[in-house]
Amino acid sequence: MASLGELERAVMERLWAATAPVAAATLREELADRGVALTTVHTVLTRLEQKGFVVHDDERPRRFTARASREEHAAELMHEVLGQSADRQAVLARFVGGVDPAEARLLRELLAGADDAR
Amino acid sequence: MLPATAASLAVLAVLLAWPVPAMLARARWARRDPLVALVCWQAIGLAGGLSMIGALLVHGLAPWGRALLPAGWSLLSGRRAVDPVRGDHWVALTLAGVLAVELVGVLLLSWVRTTRTRRRHRALLELVVQPSAALPDTRLLEHPAPVAFCIPGARPLLVLSSGIVAELDDDQLAAVVAHERAHLKEHHHLLLLPFVAWEAALPVLPAAARAHAAVRELVEMRADDVALRSLTGATPRRTLARAIVAAAGGAGGTSVPDGALAVTGGATGARVVRLLEPPRPLSGAARGTALLSAGLLLLLPTALLLLPAV
Repeated sequence: MASLGELERAVMERLWAATAPVAAATLREELADRGVALTTVHTVLTRLEQKGFVVHDDERPRRFTARASREEHAAELMHEVLGQSADRQAVLARFVGGVDPAEARLLRELLAGADDAR
Repeated sequence: MLPATAASLAVLAVLLAWPVPAMLARARWARRDPLVALVCWQAIGLAGGLSMIGALLVHGLAPWGRALLPAGWSLLSGRRAVDPVRGDHWVALTLAGVLAVELVGVLLLSWVRTTRTRRRHRALLELVVQPSAALPDTRLLEHPAPVAFCIPGARPLLVLSSGIVAELDDDQLAAVVAHERAHLKEHHHLLLLPFVAWEAALPVLPAAARAHAAVRELVEMRADDVALRSLTGATPRRTLARAIVAAAGGAGGTSVPDGALAVTGGATGARVVRLLEPPRPLSGAARGTALLSAGLLLLLPTALLLLPAV
């Protein structure tokens, strides 16, 4: 039995790959190897809609599309992650914060100098 | 005439609002023992807020009695003041109330805001990351920029980009993961929270921004120290330093505002220098003195508040 998180990912993969809106029944068929019921697919879709990742148009309420392409999704994510404000650093702890090219060069020289000294 | 207790608390509040944080932010010893320095910062923040609000309360409540708690109770239960109440008493009480509400309110607000943003990040991430096969509890994100980060909270998430995995060797990756795990294990986000809130509450106070920057830097150094302990290679310090430089080199923030760069860049440089040329650790006596001072710093306003005023 796959977890909801895994199912959400699998559903998004299908929606991203599709060129047209996809019906819940089609999604269930495609996920047949996971043995999920149609209600489960609907639960997953509802959750994804609540999170704002999936939309359905009013004329065909049973067909779903991804709100943004996978690339847009990744871009939004990286924009958030690479953001530099002080609160951003409180939200997530980044290994190394943003460094400008001059500072990056300085760091490399520092490391090279330490290597020579050995 | 201001009671001596209120005056001492006011002096303490002023000292903790400007000269003491400035001194600690400049102190060279902080880099030698980030953990002790972090404890001192927490004590300064707490004692500062306590003495600022306390000074106003002690002065404002003076007409109701010498001891703070009974006097406060008298006021709240509507009893008549023993001494005549002047305008400045009401001003002090109002200011104390506003300040207390603001400090606590901003703290709660920052908490709610960061928690909400974290939840959003986690939702975005969970759709695109894959569990790493080689590193337990680590997720991989398909992206060329060399980034590593963790989202703290009840369900923490440690993420490495495919860019950083390609750029670093196994030892360096282990160092990065150990650094991020140290943040999670020691709940560094909680140590940062009061300073984020303090800066938001008192934007006019330059010490607040400086304190926040100093604590951020110390938290990173502390995570480096903890990471070093778990690394096995022959030269763990060099491995971690290389990882930092590699992660800094490619991240090249083109959309990054200039104002933030000097601070973060300088802090990254300080981390690398510290790894390559490790400073002498603080002696036991020096550690003890610093921790004792932090304890006394907290005890002083508490005692002034609880003992009857003179």
